[in-house]
Order: sequence, then structure tokens, then C-alpha cells
Amino acid sequence: MSNKKSESSSRRDFIKTAGLGVGVAAVASGVLSAGGAVAAPVLKNEKTVGYRETEHVKQYYESAKY
Amino acid sequence: MNSNLNTQTIVGEEEKLRAHFYLLMSRLLGAPVDGDLLSMIRNLKGDDTPIGLEVNALSALAQNISIEAATEEYEALFIGVTQGELIPFKSYYLTGFLNEKPLAELRAHMDELGIEKSDNVAEPDDHIAFLLEMMHGLIVGTFDKPSTISEQNRFFENHIACWAPKFFEDLEAAESAHLFASVGRIGKLFMEVEGEAFLMAA
Repeated sequence: MSNKKSESSSRRDFIKTAGLGVGVAAVASGVLSAGGAVAAPVLKNEKTVGYRETEHVKQYYESAKY
Repeated sequence: MNSNLNTQTIVGEEEKLRAHFYLLMSRLLGAPVDGDLLSMIRNLKGDDTPIGLEVNALSALAQNISIEAATEEYEALFIGVTQGELIPFKSYYLTGFLNEKPLAELRAHMDELGIEKSDNVAEPDDHIAFLLEMMHGLIVGTFDKPSTISEQNRFFENHIACWAPKFFEDLEAAESAHLFASVGRIGKLFMEVEGEAFLMAA
């Protein structure tokens, strides 16, 4: 196999074992939603004037339940 | 309509872990805690890696702090009467002043990526919480389709790696920091993990 392939798989393994899985998604990902009502900075996509990213984030969290 | 599933890049599990972590750090640094966030932090469970252990320490600290105390801590650190103990902006860290060239460089990059700040946010775009939120967005494709690792790396190197590790060190050592000292240690470790992971992809 090419180096490229093994590099990207070692990167994946490294990330998986780096301790980032702390249960954020399982606990309450909605708390962190960028489209939430908190005063956290909210970015918008100028190409679509505003709320597309909210939908995206919602879809993402739907799909991220693991 | 461009929601054709076939054209969407699939975001791998490990990339989702990174993305969640960026969003968690962004939320912690972007506004004082509220009840939901505090109870989430109390329920975080790390493993026995350096980051995992520090997340457990954060969770333990959160179990013994009230929303009021956590809010006071946030305000002392980042808001203050005139200003907080720390000034969490890229431009400030790199030049000693707000709104200098490092901010202009960020804005040029944001233009290129089609990202702009919401109208209801007063802070300059180079606040640490914005930058971390943008990394989250690049990974999962909030702004467009998910960015490639090398695009993410370019953003990380140019706008985060050049100052955020120092900021997290300052946060860890800040006089007002108790809960946030732990956030600082986690941030520092996370930056190391990200830097190393990007090297593996290079």
C-alpha cells in the first residue's frame, strides 16, 4: 500500500487513542449547538445568509449520535 | 438544493471526536457556563490518556462549583470591570494590540472560506472561541462541505497554533482560574494532539 494510506490510518489511530472521546455527544450535544441560544460566538455562512448552518448542525448532531 | 447525500463527504468517527472537542472548548471559552453546560461537564468521562485524565479532573471540579462561582470566574478571567485577566484574541497575543494585522489575515482567510461573523457578536473575529468554532465547522462542514485535512491544517497553523498554546498556558496559570485552570490544561494538551495529528497527515 502507498505511504499516503498508512499515514492517514496511523493518524486516525492516533486520534482515536488520544483521549478525545469524553462523552460530549452522548451527554448533551445540544448544549454545544452553535445555533443555540447561548451567547457563544455564532458564525454564519454569507453565501446562504444565516440559517443554513443551524440546519447543518442539527443534521450533524442527528447523525453523530453514537 | 444541494443536499444530495451522494455528494457529501463522509466525516469519519475520529474526525467527529475532534470536532466535538473543538466545540466543547469553544463553548467553554465563548460564554459563562449555564446550567446545561455545567451539568454536561459534570458528566464528562475521560479515559486514562493525559487529556482523558484532565477531563475527569475538570468534571470533578465542576461537581463542586456553583453556576454563580463559575460565572464569576469566567467574568474575572475574560470580562472584568474594564478588562479581564486574559485577553483571548489572536491579534493581542501576536502583537500586543487588538485588531492588528493578525486579525486582517484571519478575515481574509474567512472571506476565502465564505465565513463571516454573526451580526449580534461584538467581539473581533479572532477570539479563541470563534477560532475553535470555525475549526469545528471546517471539520464537519458547517459552512460548506467538510474541509480537507490540509485545509484544516492551514487554518490551524495560521490562526491557532501560533498563539493558542500560549493562551492556554496563561489560562492554566491565571490567578482567577480554578475550573478554568483545568480548561487551560485540557486546551494545551488538545493543541498538542492536533499538532501531532496534522504532522501525521502531512
